[in-house]
Amino acid sequence: MTSSAANSVMIEARGVEKWYANGYHALRGVNLSVRQGEVVVIMGPSGSGKSTFIRTFNALEDFQKGSIVVDGMPLSNDLRNIDAIRREVGMVFQQFNLFPHLTVLENLTLAPTLVRKRSKVEVEREALELLERVNIREQAHKYPGQLSGGQQQRVAIARSLCMEPRVMLFDEPTSALDPEMVQEVLEVMQELAREGMTMVVVTHEVRFARQVAHRIVLMADGLVVEEAPPEQFFSNPQHERSRQFLSQIA
Amino acid sequence: MTSTPQAPLARLRRELFATPLDGLITLGLVGFLLAVAAALLRWVFFQAEWAVIQANTTLFAVGRYPIEQQWRLWLLTTLLAAATGLSWGLLRGPSRRWPVNDQLAAGILIVLAVVGSWALKLTPAIQLRWCGIAALMLAVRWAAGRWGHTWPMGLRRLVPLIWPLLYLLGMVLISGGLGLMQVPPSEWGGLLLTLLEASFAILLCFPLGILLALGRRSDLPLLRWGSVVYIEFIRGAPLITLLFLGQNILGFLLPGGLAPDRVWRAAWVLTFFAAAYVAEAVRSGLAALPAGQLEAARSLGLPMHQALIHVVLPQALRIALPATVGQFITLLQDTTLLSLIGLLDLLGTARTVMANPEFLGKNAEVYLVLAVLFWCCCAALGLGSRALESRLNPLTTAKA
Repeated sequence: MTSSAANSVMIEARGVEKWYANGYHALRGVNLSVRQGEVVVIMGPSGSGKSTFIRTFNALEDFQKGSIVVDGMPLSNDLRNIDAIRREVGMVFQQFNLFPHLTVLENLTLAPTLVRKRSKVEVEREALELLERVNIREQAHKYPGQLSGGQQQRVAIARSLCMEPRVMLFDEPTSALDPEMVQEVLEVMQELAREGMTMVVVTHEVRFARQVAHRIVLMADGLVVEEAPPEQFFSNPQHERSRQFLSQIA
Repeated sequence: MTSTPQAPLARLRRELFATPLDGLITLGLVGFLLAVAAALLRWVFFQAEWAVIQANTTLFAVGRYPIEQQWRLWLLTTLLAAATGLSWGLLRGPSRRWPVNDQLAAGILIVLAVVGSWALKLTPAIQLRWCGIAALMLAVRWAAGRWGHTWPMGLRRLVPLIWPLLYLLGMVLISGGLGLMQVPPSEWGGLLLTLLEASFAILLCFPLGILLALGRRSDLPLLRWGSVVYIEFIRGAPLITLLFLGQNILGFLLPGGLAPDRVWRAAWVLTFFAAAYVAEAVRSGLAALPAGQLEAARSLGLPMHQALIHVVLPQALRIALPATVGQFITLLQDTTLLSLIGLLDLLGTARTVMANPEFLGKNAEVYLVLAVLFWCCCAALGLGSRALESRLNPLTTAKA
């Protein structure tokens, strides 16, 4: 684990509140600050607003109150500003969301060539290197539908990395996987953390949280209940809600 | 149902003559079908008088298009045949054996060109031309299937562009200009007018329908409600009403050059009408695509229009393809309504022929030929769509 306590703040969320169109109060004033190079794992029971919260970081969800600043750019309704933030923030989804009509390689090169206007040859070379890093270079010319779930999720991670993001968001990246494929995805994420990537991860994987996270954030009912380093969080949780959650997943 | 390999006779016995009652029903139905077929064949070969068709082939084909200018239509037909063969071959790729559908289509084409043009008592020169055109299409199809895959990808991607270019060229060839003698729309007729109206509407209603479908799913209220009102208004009105309405008001609505006469006004009405239905087909495709696809594209930093063009539409249109082609087929058949507003399309021409005292009472012959002609056009559309579908691999569309 790299110590990066002195580094600059990458994500700063202050008092974020969100109501869904049906009136449901999903986020009730959430604060979170993520420093550069830090790995933050967000845990909590389902329906606690974890996914909704990290989806506000790249404006996949809007919010009504509070402020979010990503890499110095305040999130506003300005579309250009949103696209600029999305270029710097990679996201990995529970359902992979690979583009099934494109090959694995095309999935990786689509955004860099279109958005960053980089030459196709150069991007393809980098994409192949990334696929090498996630151990599926030999599948580069297959379609996503021909890969296993674990392979697809590794492609999805590589696809995000191909945009050279400053932050990576993971929204339950292993929840849709068969148990025997979880490890291969977690290993890739662990490797990424070791290289110093700033990561915010929503997950139920306790082992990953213990070994990789710098900080655990427990959310419940649209609020942050507890924030602590993993050793302290798992061995000596301060709040009743945290103890209850840990007893349920143990 | 199981389909274990069995002697055909045993299978027939098991499926059609399992019990005495089954056998009775089978025999009754077969007898009925044979009787109908025999009556039809007897009528076709011995009672029907095909002179009504044979004497009017040119009229059915092109209306009153000037004879000395008809070489332009022959040229266009030849080009269309070559382009069809090319697209067909490339779509199928390099399999050595032709798929069953292709064999069927080729067979029907040869029968139509050889037997059809002989039965219509066309002059030997024109019979030869039709056979030549059919042979050209099949030869190009064979060659494109055989060697097409060796061409560079960039070149093959350009092939679909032939169609809009050919359409523009076709418009020049048909209507004149660029040094060719002008032939006004009032002289177009028959199959030429039917296909022209249908293809104009098909080509334009498709992009218009996509825009309407996107508009209906837009977050902008004005755009959304505008699209909803348009689609629901058009779908709520019978086409014939709109055709009459269009003849009266399109002159004011569209800029002067776009709808100068009845033929073009009707073409625009068909376009606007079909666009509403295509929009609903496309909307079903958009709705079937998981929301995660757009989210993934947007989270990679793609702006909305690029996310739509590169991620959403390629998949949504593939899902919507069968419904959209169904709409095109309906559109082709709807062109017969043009005869009611006084245009001489295939049906309009047929009505003038049947009104000719020389051919009174020959309606059955005329309608049968019309039905066969429409069936051929629709079958071609259907086969083309299925070829396109199987080419756009289902593996490559996101599952919900």
